[in-house]
Amino acid sequence: MRLAGAILLALLAWAPALCAAESVDYVRDVKPILEQHCIRCHGAIEQESGLRLDHISFMRQGGVRGTALAASSDKSVLIQAVDGSGDVEQMPLEADPLSDEQIATLRAWIDAGAPAPQEPLPADPREHWSFRKPVRPPLPETSPDAWSQHPIDRFLAVEHQRQGLTPMPPAEKNLLLRRVYLDLIGLPPTPEELRAFQADASPDAYEKVVDRLLASPRYGERWGRHWMDVWRYSDWDGYGQEVRESQPHIWRWRDWIVESLNADKPYDRMVAEMLAADEIAPADEEARRATGFLVRNWYKFNRNVWLDNTVEHTSKAFLGITLNCARCHNHMYDPIAQREYYQFRAFFEPHQVRTDRVPGQSDTKHDGLVHAYDADADTPTYLFERGNEAKPDKENPLSPGVPAVLGGDTLRIASVELPPEAYYPGLRAFVQQETLAEAIASADTARKSLATRSEALAAARQKLAALADTASPPAAKSPPAGNGAEAESAEPKADPPKQEATTGKDELQVALRDAERNVELAESETLATAAELVAVRAKIAADAATFATPPAANAEELAREASRAEGVAAVERARHKVLVAENGVERAKAAGGDNAKKNIELAESKLTAARQVRETAQAALAKSDDSYTHFTQVFPSSSTGRRAALARWIASEENPLTARVAVNHIWMRHFGDPLVQSVFDFGRNGQEPTHPELLDWLAVEFMEQGWRMKSLHRLIVTSAAYRMASTARDESNLARDPENRYLWHANARRMEAEVVRDSTLYVAGALDETMGGPELDQNTGQEVARRSLYFRGSKEKKMTFLDTFDRANVTDCYRRSETIVPQQALAMVNSPLSLAQARRLAGTLADQLQTQPTPESETAFIAAAFERVLCRPPSDEERDACLAFLAEQSRMFADPAKLAAFESEEESDVPPAADPHARARENLLHVLLNHNDFLTVR
Amino acid sequence: MRRWRQPQSPSRNTRLPRRAFLADVGMGFTGLALGEMLLGDGIARGATSAWQPPDGRAHHRPRAKSVIWIFLVGGMSHMESFDPKPALNEFGGQEIGNTPHKDVLTASFVEENLRIVVPDDANGHIRHKLFPLQVAFQKRGQSGLEISDWFPHLGSCADDLAIVRSMWTTDNNHGAQLQFHTGRHVLEGQFPTIGSWVHYGLGSINENLPRFVVLGTPIADCCGGIGAHGANYLGPEHSGVQLGVDPAAPLPFAMPSADVYREEQQAEFTLLNKLNKLAAVEYPEDQDIRARIKSYELAFHMQTAVPDVVDCAQETEDTHKLYGLDQKETEPFGRQCLVARRLVEQGVRFVQIFHGSNGGAGAWDAHGNLKTSHSTLCGQIDRPIAALIQDLKRRGLLDETIVVIGTEFGRTPGTQNSNGRDHHPFGFSVVMAGGGLKGGVAHGATDALGFHAIENRHYVTDVHATVLDLMGLDPRRLEVPGRKRLDIDFGHPIREIMA
Repeated sequence: MRLAGAILLALLAWAPALCAAESVDYVRDVKPILEQHCIRCHGAIEQESGLRLDHISFMRQGGVRGTALAASSDKSVLIQAVDGSGDVEQMPLEADPLSDEQIATLRAWIDAGAPAPQEPLPADPREHWSFRKPVRPPLPETSPDAWSQHPIDRFLAVEHQRQGLTPMPPAEKNLLLRRVYLDLIGLPPTPEELRAFQADASPDAYEKVVDRLLASPRYGERWGRHWMDVWRYSDWDGYGQEVRESQPHIWRWRDWIVESLNADKPYDRMVAEMLAADEIAPADEEARRATGFLVRNWYKFNRNVWLDNTVEHTSKAFLGITLNCARCHNHMYDPIAQREYYQFRAFFEPHQVRTDRVPGQSDTKHDGLVHAYDADADTPTYLFERGNEAKPDKENPLSPGVPAVLGGDTLRIASVELPPEAYYPGLRAFVQQETLAEAIASADTARKSLATRSEALAAARQKLAALADTASPPAAKSPPAGNGAEAESAEPKADPPKQEATTGKDELQVALRDAERNVELAESETLATAAELVAVRAKIAADAATFATPPAANAEELAREASRAEGVAAVERARHKVLVAENGVERAKAAGGDNAKKNIELAESKLTAARQVRETAQAALAKSDDSYTHFTQVFPSSSTGRRAALARWIASEENPLTARVAVNHIWMRHFGDPLVQSVFDFGRNGQEPTHPELLDWLAVEFMEQGWRMKSLHRLIVTSAAYRMASTARDESNLARDPENRYLWHANARRMEAEVVRDSTLYVAGALDETMGGPELDQNTGQEVARRSLYFRGSKEKKMTFLDTFDRANVTDCYRRSETIVPQQALAMVNSPLSLAQARRLAGTLADQLQTQPTPESETAFIAAAFERVLCRPPSDEERDACLAFLAEQSRMFADPAKLAAFESEEESDVPPAADPHARARENLLHVLLNHNDFLTVR
Repeated sequence: MRRWRQPQSPSRNTRLPRRAFLADVGMGFTGLALGEMLLGDGIARGATSAWQPPDGRAHHRPRAKSVIWIFLVGGMSHMESFDPKPALNEFGGQEIGNTPHKDVLTASFVEENLRIVVPDDANGHIRHKLFPLQVAFQKRGQSGLEISDWFPHLGSCADDLAIVRSMWTTDNNHGAQLQFHTGRHVLEGQFPTIGSWVHYGLGSINENLPRFVVLGTPIADCCGGIGAHGANYLGPEHSGVQLGVDPAAPLPFAMPSADVYREEQQAEFTLLNKLNKLAAVEYPEDQDIRARIKSYELAFHMQTAVPDVVDCAQETEDTHKLYGLDQKETEPFGRQCLVARRLVEQGVRFVQIFHGSNGGAGAWDAHGNLKTSHSTLCGQIDRPIAALIQDLKRRGLLDETIVVIGTEFGRTPGTQNSNGRDHHPFGFSVVMAGGGLKGGVAHGATDALGFHAIENRHYVTDVHATVLDLMGLDPRRLEVPGRKRLDIDFGHPIREIMA
């Protein structure tokens, strides 16, 4: 039954194809089949069996088996391969076979004589535009009365003329100001700034604003967030407290991004530091934060996943190539061999992640500097057959290398000798000082404890003596409680309160014994801490001598001393612990009770263990040499230099892609649209630039200006193109270029998630402008008024408000989504955040205006509200609508008994005003925060 | 060409003629759907051959319009639910290697179907000492489908059920929860989930409600977390929207704080609408304003519609009883099932219900005490799921709704911790019912021990493919540029269970 069905289906599929034999069209019907199923192995990049199927001439010519076509389809090697009828293995290998219909199409085409139109030979993939270094093209000719003399505009004007497009006039001043503010610092201008700009008639009024904004620390936060998207910033993610992806304290990388941008650190330097700060600036701890770029890929369960992500996103973010497509097989579109994927991986093979101490916190769980370093220079890299980690090709270990097509032959890898403080964090002054201070404090505490306890002992003795003298003793006094230096549970405790101090002598004797024990313990603790302090000092001296370059003459001697001091300290500590354990036994025996036997056994076993430790320590001391425990782990003293070499190659003017990719990212964020649509794929499967010459001119300009991003921003935002109106009111232009590919008007855009939240807080005067620091709880975003980039963001941990407005997907976000959905409306209408800010702002504006609600003052209030929230005055119609609203609302609140409140569990941070007029004004501001023109950047 | 990226947002895909637009403003275009408003009118398809997001229409005749996707978190034993294995009783207590079925240990599937995340985990191993069935089975309904005694109510719906007994997956640990929803092993990362594909591919039937709703506590961050109802690269607007079944707080920002009056908020919406329309006249070519105006209209309706739809008080007492809302053990899940029915009744496309979330691997993860824990958990879901099927049926909704009962993997035929079973990716069962599906059928089979799926084997994406096919979607036509999908992502519809 099933078989019959299959045959019937096959016949049905055949029939139309056969009937249509004459009408099979190569370009329409045949080529897509070949492109989809065949040319990966039989095309420009690979020619299995010497056969290419990407041009009719190659097909006729054939491969090692002769022509692919033949006069009749039955004899065609191509057909035999796809239907499995010949002695060739059925093609395509490792994929679903072609459908009967597709095979029928190929047959019909071959039987018709394989007609094909004249087509140029496919280009050599190595000649793809983006694989060749950009050369600065000459600026297009322009006339003095042209649209603009700005270099960017001259390139754009060429296309405008070619496409018959007229650029839009400049945007109105207020809209332009708001646009450039939101673009450069992510916050709108204040009314004062707006008025000042409108009043400034000087020719460079706008340029002055641009310079001021670029100098603002808010710039680094705004553009830092953009780059955090591209560089996949993610706070740690995991299960409960278990870290599974990225790392705690990675916020230091975020701060490095913000600071670097504010300092206008050149892009090439930033890239280099992110890949290899530990190699190119090993003495610079601040720079090492940059390697958060690598740390972010840390993945608990699988090193290959970790490195795959590192390779994929290093190549996408900086180079705009999809190296990841070459993990299981050669790249399908770009001339990149699978081997080259793994050679790229080899740059990262030795690296690992570690967290060094930071001043003030000795426990790196709570804080630390997390960064990348080379842990093992000798880890080999193997190609995985078909990407399968279970099938490494161990015969052929691979050395690091970059794809040959990108000019990877210039790479020089040299091992980097690290300064001692870089590979031995314990050598850093603050670690030594803090360790020393701790040891001194412990010794101090122990000494003080001994003094107090000795006094207590003297007192106990006195009391006993007094009892012997007189018949009536004073009540037994408890020995002083431990002072915290001792944590051992076997420490003698204060006696249980006596019911009555009667005879006293027994109790006093017990108290005396306790006091004696306390003193013994304090003595041994004092000895131990003193020895430990000596050991710390000895280690510091030994470290200084050992890690000096060259090592000091007495290094060995000092090391032996440190070793011995450590041995002595260990013995003293062990002795103390034996004493503690002995006390424990004594107490267990004295305590009696139901569990006495068990407790005594337990105490005795602890004592045995403590004695064992003491003996070991004594034996070790006897054999002490020149080795001692370091304050922190000592890491390898050299780094392979692989990542530094990669960084130099990427961040180079010789690299054909780096500057182009960066310029394209920056351009996209200014204009809302990139020059190359496929921002992470400049390869052959990506899109061509709309303005290739402009892209190259900008890329070269960027490099020649020292890779300074602020210069590039300034260049872009001072173009006439940037300053155009966003209105698209030109039927002719619309008909010619409805998608604005050739940039004849500015693109209106929706604010990004962070800009929505930050601006809402900012216009109400509530934004907390504190910069940097540990990431904030993502669930506090409604109450805590810090900028959005400082809140925790990872796969699982994300702020709902930001998510609603398309926050960056931490997995990858080379370009943000920009949606308009009802959940965003709910977030703006109902969130405590927007309600609170509206209420706050209404109060502020009313205070500033200092007026009673009269029709005139309401008009002024409306104007002030529009100016503050929307950066523009209301139109007459808008003003009237708002006036009517205020009046209506005031009436409504005059009789609240008639109103129905929401049965909500939400509470607001700022209660509504009691006065009906004031409340109406709050609601007006709430409406304006929801206004299209607030959420839109025009 | 320009908007090759993923969002379905109609923004700036095309420019509408100004005149047509102004007419729209005049009409207020109430009642029109947001995405479809622009995409469905044919204009947004544009004249170019460049990629366009889906237009919300089915690719072929749909057999169903909604999905209720029930997921049992932790891994339900297939052998104590839908795949009886008497051989376990026969060889109970014996080592697999000493039974006639020892070949299962050397089958190629053992290696092929296993990709380990946590190398030396205590769990996720083959357990050799066979564990007898912990429950008896009965033949049920006209069809005689065998279902365990822990499912008496669901058993009474046997003739509506299609059981697939030959599922397999590749994660021996609970990352399989994510895998069940994305089709990809957790080591490969997060991908769009089945619900998000449905959301992405199909337009809305009721714009006042989210199209893709999540009920119950989502799986924990150990095992895929919110990624298991996420949309990943399709964009957050295609993610499942978590709804609580409490009408007072069903979704984030569903309503303002209690110090806001409804009348006052309505007046705000009215003013906002007026102001935005004035802006629309100012910028007639800006489609985003139209979309934003519409989004606010929808939000306003959603504010009422969402609390309303989760409010089960409107249902009859009989219905409450049917779903077990009168019993403590069945009430929580019963309420979710009832809300699910109310949601699909009102046109929600995809309802994903999680059962057994416990902040970790999930309550169904019976490494020990399988009998106690599974019988209790079955007691929580048996009546509600049966009620759901019966209720959908009596309302004529079962024909257009697909019900799926899934879990991340099965459990080992061998015993763990003396009375439990370990994770088992090599063979397990999924149950489906409803629109376009046969009833009373069991498809595929595991071997005599329930170890390997051996007959008509199905990877988890075959369930996705079946759902998408019944919903009228061809997943190959939903591809997003730059986001290459593998063949395994698409799966194959299970034709044998389709009516």
